[in-house]
Amino acid sequence: MNRLKTRWIIFGGLFLIVTLSYLTNIRFKSVASPEIQKSYDYLDSLPEGSVIMVSFDHEASSLPEIQPLALVVLRHAFKNNLKIIGVSLFAEGTAIGYRLLSQTAREYDKTYGVDYVFLGFKPQQISAILGMGESIAHVFPEDYLGTPTDEIPIMMNIVNYDQIEMVISIADGALAVHWIEYVGGQYHQNIMTALTAAMITTYDPYLASGQLYSVIGGLKGAAEYENLLGQPGGGNRGMLAQTSAHVYVIVLIVIGNILYFRGRKNGKA
Amino acid sequence: MDIGLIIAGVLTLAIYTFLYKDNPIYKAAESLLIGLSIGYALVIYWQTTLVDRLLTPLFARGELLMIIPLVLGLLMFTRFSNRLSWLSRIPIALMIGAGAGVAIPAMLYARTLKQISASVMPLMDGGGFNVEALVVIVGLLSTLAYFYFSREHKGAMGITAKIGTYFLMIFFGATFGYTVMSRMSTFIGRIDFLLTDFLRILA
Repeated sequence: MNRLKTRWIIFGGLFLIVTLSYLTNIRFKSVASPEIQKSYDYLDSLPEGSVIMVSFDHEASSLPEIQPLALVVLRHAFKNNLKIIGVSLFAEGTAIGYRLLSQTAREYDKTYGVDYVFLGFKPQQISAILGMGESIAHVFPEDYLGTPTDEIPIMMNIVNYDQIEMVISIADGALAVHWIEYVGGQYHQNIMTALTAAMITTYDPYLASGQLYSVIGGLKGAAEYENLLGQPGGGNRGMLAQTSAHVYVIVLIVIGNILYFRGRKNGKA
Repeated sequence: MDIGLIIAGVLTLAIYTFLYKDNPIYKAAESLLIGLSIGYALVIYWQTTLVDRLLTPLFARGELLMIIPLVLGLLMFTRFSNRLSWLSRIPIALMIGAGAGVAIPAMLYARTLKQISASVMPLMDGGGFNVEALVVIVGLLSTLAYFYFSREHKGAMGITAKIGTYFLMIFFGATFGYTVMSRMSTFIGRIDFLLTDFLRILA
């Protein structure tokens, strides 16, 4: 079998499996892991009107995985009438952050400037993070739409992290580490992260040492959180496809190994 | 249908044509992605860094102190001149000095001290023998032994280092597994978009 043909079979098979998984109406019930339960319980315990900061620290290319994660966090916050300050420390996350925040706010009939605000992007992440520890309005003199920060109702009583209950970094890379090291370490702020699955092991040491409050990881994390929230979305829709794709990969690995050892036995490898 | 959805759908399919083989449609979509990403980042950086932090304060509000970062920034461009390139060392020294000053204490605390304290767990707790603590101790010491190159990995040292490689393999395996999961999620997300928003096969 030539290489191109093998490639077609592998990718064609994956495409078929994922597509068929979507076309069937089977839905998996994901049971929340302790980590997801902890994240959910914390946000659920915050009194109405509490302010959280959500930072969109990701690229556009990771949106398919990031979007369900961001939506569960934003939906839960708006559902519990929490107020959200959105920021972005990654240029590509700016427009996406504003879109997701506005889209979710419309679902819950929230008012811009009163229930939520998007302050936009700031370069030099560390200095921006440290600067907000002194004054958020100094780092972001205007919001994303150009309104002076001190004229926005939600920001009237917000000076720095002291008035914020938690920082949630929605990240696809190591940027959330800055929030942990500087805001968690120096300002003793609770930090939660919503991460792509590829980054989970990077943050495990911070989680184990208690520097990171909790992690919502990958599409599976989003699905578990959606179930707790009672609002199945992109995470739940993708669970059957993900399980099928993983089984498919495992089967391919087994077949590959059988072929390899058979070839070696016959002296071909 | 929304024009944005059509463009997104067509470009997603164009990227996936690479699975057939490298072709001009894929190349065009790839170039568009790179060009747009750089262009978008450039505009954002221009506005949020140069306009908001330098040009507006200096020229619109007359904050003369802003001349200092302006001069330091311009000194960076002396790298292009053999005669004047030494001047670029001033802003570079400032950046490195300030960066290290800010980063070292925070990193030392978060990545070293806190990690050491998290690794020290009692072997006996209220409920009896703490298996988790034992695994952490064995994993930590054996992995450190693997990276200790001042002594030959023979005898007890060799066995400990070998155990360390198993812990490393478990870590690499978990990381690789999560990475596969992540890439699958990205693919699944695009299929979801194609079937739901673009082709509207699913409600």
